[in-house]
Order: sequence, then structure tokens, then C-alpha cells
Amino acid sequence: MGFFRKKEKKMEKLIISKSLDENMKRLKERLKDCDDIVYKEFRVGVEQNLRFLLVYVDGMSSRDMLNDAVLNALMVHAREVPPEAKEPGEGLYKLVRYGGLPASELADKDNLEDAILAILIGDAVLFIDTTEKCIIIGAKGWPMRGVSEPNTEALIRGPRDGFTETFRVNTALVRRRIRDSRLKLKQLRLGKRSFTDIGVMYIEDIVSPELLEEVFRRISTIDIDAIIESGYIEQLIEDNCMSPFPQISVTERPDEVAASLYEGRVAILVDNSPFALIVPTTLNSLFQSPEDYYDRWYVASILRFIRYFASILSLVLPASYIAVTSFHPGILPDKLVISMAAAREGIPFPVVIETFIMEVTFELLREAGLRLPVPIGSAIGIVGGIVIGSAAVEAGIVSPIMVIIVAITAISSFSIPNYSLSVGFRMLRFFLMILAGVLGLYGIMLGVLLILSHLVKLKSFGIPYMSPYVSFEGSDFKDTIVRVPTFLMARRPILLARNRIRLRNNRNLINRPEQESERDDKE
Amino acid sequence: MIRNNDIVSPYQIAMITIMTVISVEVFSIAADTADILGTDGWLVIVILGIINIFTAMVIVRLNSIFPGKTIAEYSQIIIGTVPGKVLTSFFAIYLIIVIAYVTRVFTEVVKMFLLFRTPTEVIMLSLILVSTYIVRGGVECVARINELIFPILFIPFTIVMLFGLPNMDFSNLRPILQTPPGKVLASIPRMIFSFGGIELALYYIGFMKEPKKAYKSLIISVLFILLFFVMVIVFCIAAFGAKSTTKAIWPLVMYIRGISLPGLFIERLDGVILSLWVLTVFTTIVTVFFTASYSISKVAGTREQKQYVLPLVIIIYYLALQPGSLAELYEWGNAIFPYAVSAFMYVVPVMLLIIAGLRKLEVKQNEGN
Repeated sequence: MGFFRKKEKKMEKLIISKSLDENMKRLKERLKDCDDIVYKEFRVGVEQNLRFLLVYVDGMSSRDMLNDAVLNALMVHAREVPPEAKEPGEGLYKLVRYGGLPASELADKDNLEDAILAILIGDAVLFIDTTEKCIIIGAKGWPMRGVSEPNTEALIRGPRDGFTETFRVNTALVRRRIRDSRLKLKQLRLGKRSFTDIGVMYIEDIVSPELLEEVFRRISTIDIDAIIESGYIEQLIEDNCMSPFPQISVTERPDEVAASLYEGRVAILVDNSPFALIVPTTLNSLFQSPEDYYDRWYVASILRFIRYFASILSLVLPASYIAVTSFHPGILPDKLVISMAAAREGIPFPVVIETFIMEVTFELLREAGLRLPVPIGSAIGIVGGIVIGSAAVEAGIVSPIMVIIVAITAISSFSIPNYSLSVGFRMLRFFLMILAGVLGLYGIMLGVLLILSHLVKLKSFGIPYMSPYVSFEGSDFKDTIVRVPTFLMARRPILLARNRIRLRNNRNLINRPEQESERDDKE
Repeated sequence: MIRNNDIVSPYQIAMITIMTVISVEVFSIAADTADILGTDGWLVIVILGIINIFTAMVIVRLNSIFPGKTIAEYSQIIIGTVPGKVLTSFFAIYLIIVIAYVTRVFTEVVKMFLLFRTPTEVIMLSLILVSTYIVRGGVECVARINELIFPILFIPFTIVMLFGLPNMDFSNLRPILQTPPGKVLASIPRMIFSFGGIELALYYIGFMKEPKKAYKSLIISVLFILLFFVMVIVFCIAAFGAKSTTKAIWPLVMYIRGISLPGLFIERLDGVILSLWVLTVFTTIVTVFFTASYSISKVAGTREQKQYVLPLVIIIYYLALQPGSLAELYEWGNAIFPYAVSAFMYVVPVMLLIIAGLRKLEVKQNEGN
């Protein structure tokens, strides 16, 4: 370790020398065995006495752009058009830098280290003989996926664009929705080897300064070799890494990011990842879908209610089945108890084991189906359906009621809009099943109390995870289980936003068309 | 680093008070009042409620002299360091006994209606251990859990209570107001503990930004408790009549047991409601537990209260196992609580307020600001 660190220190501070050959030698030494790097040496001028060197990574820079803006311009056009630089050196450099390159993005560097980084990022670097500086030409142009609809967050109503793996495209998609000079994008590079672009986006006069400071503070503590995906950052800056609940929400949708920014949240975009991070996150916001705001309010409210109901069901249904059948059959109607007992006749396992068998089978099936290509996945579905549905029952291993319970639980857990939240609920479901097997309904309540206690303790960047349920504020309740009509949501959430007024209620203007027309007449 | 702010909001104060006061005594309150006053049992609760509105005002008045300080801190200012610490220690002992009592009563209820064969020790210890998790989180978490559980508990409970309406015969409530006033007044000391728990506001108001705002919260919460108790008593007596109510140990559980919802998925509700009732017992234990460990930390002079929580579990567990039977447990409760509750709810705040007034501590505080 110490050896490498010493070597790294030695390699720093490479300055650009006047001699082009010397520079090329240093570059080639540094980028030894990197066979994808292109060194294009060429001569310019009528006498062909000015030597230039263009370096870029093959495949990461746009070859068309370099041909047009650099090679064509310098090698062909510069020959015909005055002024011509007679003297090599500073004059030539300035001429090329400001007059010779028809490219939109140019920068000067006098450090070879920076130049190498620029090359590796995908820019092209132009060295000129007899000058101690180089020109960085923004020529990034690698193959990228087009903007397409996110698979995991599909909506019925809403925009169809989703983030891609290219940072710049993603920031543009957000910027297109917030044409406000107060939308800020702070960029930094993280990762000692990967030099990944990270963008922190926020709206200056809405976001609370403490939150912003905390976000930057946490990001600045990251010291890692590479950031491959935004998940790395998520796990390095989250509050409680032991919690089964996600404390940072992840989205592929630019409209969701924009809406969160307007609420006073902070978004973190990471290069090479189509998933943006949004902080802080509350449990309530994980149950929201962007569609809730595009659809009319009662549609959204009903859907919200269904989601909350489904999540509770997916958490406690198997556990309740265990508790009721093995501890308190008395709370069910007699006929139901008799039919359940008849269905369980001849089943060799106790209810707890039976439930575990079925739940585990279902989890295996889900995991198997998830990674497979669609045609095979459907085959898995058929196999699983037969195994779970009829074969297990016919073989006398599980009771038919158990199949119904597993099916309802499965459907409910798919209704939770956030994937990592639903995984958390899956884990807690097994925890509650064990408790129900030991202590019945009382055990379930103790488990629920533990979960509630944990949720109440949890914070995401200083915001209580259970807010607004635990920080009573009337106006924040307008966007919880019920989503009130849009014209009533006049204020931004109190815990997040500084500048709280969001819209003006226009109901009274709409409902009185006579007055409006009178005013028009007067005009 | 964003730290816990340790601030309790006025709304949370109300929730804490309601959730603390309403705990295990709800099961037996109808039987107790019917035993003393027959059909006029609700009257004593109304009188006590009105008295306690004044108690609440005394408590808030006392706390607003020392904003940002709890009784464990300002008692040392009012009556001196050592007497203050002694008072706080007594408070802590009382609170620990309360937790042990509540845990044990609830365990007996659970054993009788939910888990017949599970050992008492398992039920008790699991409940206390679950509550330690949140107590270690500090006052902010305690306040939040109270706030969160309140709607989860009371909305289903009220709905279920209304399902029992067909079983009721309101003529059972007669005769109304036939008890001589002397007898009513004499019965007040026996029921005084039913409002026990308001004194915890002496601690929790100390965590508020503006203690004056607690007037409204506390008065509203006392009124809520009053109405809730009266509802339970009236419903139970209307359902069973005063005599049968007296004979039942826990008339409320009997009442819920009597509700049947034919045709629905769940026919008998007592199991469901009792498991919901774990929530309110839990919040009571948590709220009291925090003040107990907090008092000890103030007596010992430490900054955190976390480290006292787990040792206290052992003491509570030991105390809760002492009564041999339910009858013995209630005997102990009736011997201790009327005196302890009246001491800490009435005598201590009033005395402290008088001494603070005599020493003109209020003026000093204002000059300091």
C-alpha cells in the first residue's frame, strides 16, 4: 500500500514542456499499454513547419467532430486564409486557440496531469510544438442509449422520457422542466480512479440551507476508488445502514426529480447511472407516484389509499393467518373455522411451517422470474403457478386457504410503488411471521411496535422519516393518504421548503365567469 | 451533523398526556365507579376531570416559570439541590412502580384473553424490552411515537365501540343523579388514580419551546380523557346494568366480547381490540419509562439517560413479578396509587409553585432574560 502511494505521489506534477516530442514521450510513458489512445501528429502551415499533436481515446470522442473542427480547420483551411502565424510560440498558440478551432468547447491547461484526465474523460487534447500549454477540445461522443421510457416506473399518464446513462443528458432533462436561474447544479468529481461526475441539483431559494450543507458535507466525506452507480453514493451517505427502509429515494424519471426540487429537496445525479437520488425522503413520499399529481385528485387519493392498504396487508397477512389459526381461532366465524379446519385435514405440518414453505417458494419464484428473459420468465410463471397453485395442494402439503393467502400477499406486495421499500416489507413479513408463531396476535403487535419505533427513530437528512405523521402540521397532511385537489395545495412542505407559497387559488375566478366577462367588456 | 432537536410540540404534549393517562385502568374503570356510585359512576369522573383541569393549569404555570427546564431540574432551583434530588428520586421510584404495575395488569389481561398457556414472564419481558428500544431514542422519539399511535388506536376503537350500540339498553343508566353529594365527594379519593399520568407533563413541558402553549394542549387532553372515560362507563353500564358491571373484573373487555358482527370476516372483536390495546399500554410504559430514566440521570448528574434504561428493566421485571395473583396486584395498586398519585399530581406541583412564588423566582428569571 505504502509503495503504491509513494509511486502515485511521484507521478504527480507533470508539467508540459516546450518540446512536442518530450510531451509525446511523457504521455506515452504514462499511458503505456493503453492501446485505445490515438496520437495524431500533423503539420500545419504553408511550409508545413508547425507541428501539432492531437490525443484522444478511440471510441469516446466524436471522430466527425474532430475531423471537422480540428483537423480540417487546421490542415486545410488555415493554409488558405490569412492571418498566418509566422512565429511559433505564444502567438501561434493564441491564433489557434481563439481563431483556428471552430469548436464550441475549448479550455487551456498547462498541466499534463489535467490533460491526461481530460483525455480519459473523452475530450481531445491538442498539443502545439514550442508552447507550454495545451488546448482541451470538448469532443465527448461515445455511444449512448437514447432517452426512453423507464421500465420500472411506467405510468399511465405522464411524460415518457427517462434518464439515461449520460450525466449531461440527465441534467438537461431536469433543466428543461425548471427554466429558472435559481435552479443550481453543482458538479464535482468523485472516485479516486473513476473520476465520476456527480451533480447536486437544488433550487436556491426553496431548499433549506442546513439540508444543502448537510448533503455537501456527507458527499465530501466519500473517499472511494470508484463510483459505478448512484447506489454507491446512496449507501455511503444514508443515515442508517441497518434499516430495512430506504432513506434516499431513487428514480429514473426527470419529472419526479423536478417535482422534488420544487418541494425543496435535493437531487444527486451520477454519471453512468440512470437513477437519480432524492434526499431527504419520507415514508410518505415513497408511497407517492408522479401520476398522483397528473390524475384528478380523487383518483389519486383512492390509489394512495389502496397502496397503503396493500402495504399493510403484505406485511401482516401471513402473520395474522398464523396467529389466528394457531392461537385465536375464536375470533373467526364458526363456519369459517370449520371449513378451514376441514381444508387443513391431513396436512402434516403446523401452520407456521406451512406458511413458511409457501412464502419461501413464492420468494424463490419471484427471484427466478426477475432475472430471466421474458419468454423463459413466463415459463417460470406457469411452472410456479402449477407448483404453488394445485400440485402442492393435491399432494397434501399445504391447504388451499394457504394458497389464497400467499396469492393475496404477493399481489399486495407488488402494489407498493417503490421497489426497495417493498423488499424491506418482504423481509419484515418473515420477521412478523416468526413472532406470530411464537406469541400470536400479541407477537404481531409487538413486532408492529418495533417497526413503528424504528420508523419513528429514523431520520433522513434531519427530517423525521415518518413526517408529516409525527410532526403535526395541517397543511402537510394535504399530500398524504388523501391527495387534496391541486388548487388547495398552496404551500410547500414545512419541514423542507423555505419559500412556501406555491400557487394561488384560482377556484373563485373560474366559478364566476360573469364577472370575468364584465371585466372584459369594460376593457 | 444534524442532531436530534429534543423539542416537543404543543400537539405532542396533548398526545403524550392522553396516551399516558388512558392505559390499563380503562378495562376496570366502569366496574370501579359502578361499585362506588352505581349508575352515577360517571359523575365522579366528570368532577375529577374538572379538578384536573386546574391541576393541569398549575403544572403549566409552574413549568412556564422555568422555560426549557423539567421538574427534575427546576425542583433543585426551588428547594435546593439536595432536597430537589431527593424529590426527583422519589418521583423516579414512583414512576418505576407505575411501569411495573401497568405491565403486570396488562400481562394478566393478555393471559386471560389472548395467550392462555404462555408464561407471564415471557409476555412481560417482551413488552418491556420492546419499549426500551424507543426509550433509548430520547424524548423526541417518545413524543413522536405517541403522536403516531394516537390515530391508529382511537379511530378503530371508537368505531368498534359504536358497533355495540344494539346491545345497549339506555334505561339501565337510570336513576340519574340520585346519589347524595356527600357520597360523591367521598368517592373522589378512590378514583383519583384514574387520571394519574398528567403529572408527567411536569417533565415533558420542559422540552417545549414555548411552555405557555401547553395550557391549551393540556386542557384539551384532560377533556378528551374525561369524555373517553365517561363514554366507556356509560356504554358498559348501558350494556350490562350497574350490578353486572360491578361483578365483572374488566367490563370493557366483556363489552367488546359481546359485540358480534354477523356475516363479517371477523366475528368476535375482543382479540383484535386487545391486541390494539397493546399500543396504548406500550405508549404509557414508554412515556413513563423515559421520565424514570431521565429523573435518574438528573439525580446522578449525567447528560444522557440511555445507560439507565437496561438496568431499570431488571428492576421493573422484578417488581412486576412480586404480586402473586391478580387480586393481590389490585390490592397493592389500591394501597399505593391513591396516595402516590395525589402526592405527585397535586401536592408536589402546588407546593413547588407556592415556594417558587414566595422566593420570587419568577422575577429573577425575567431579569436573567
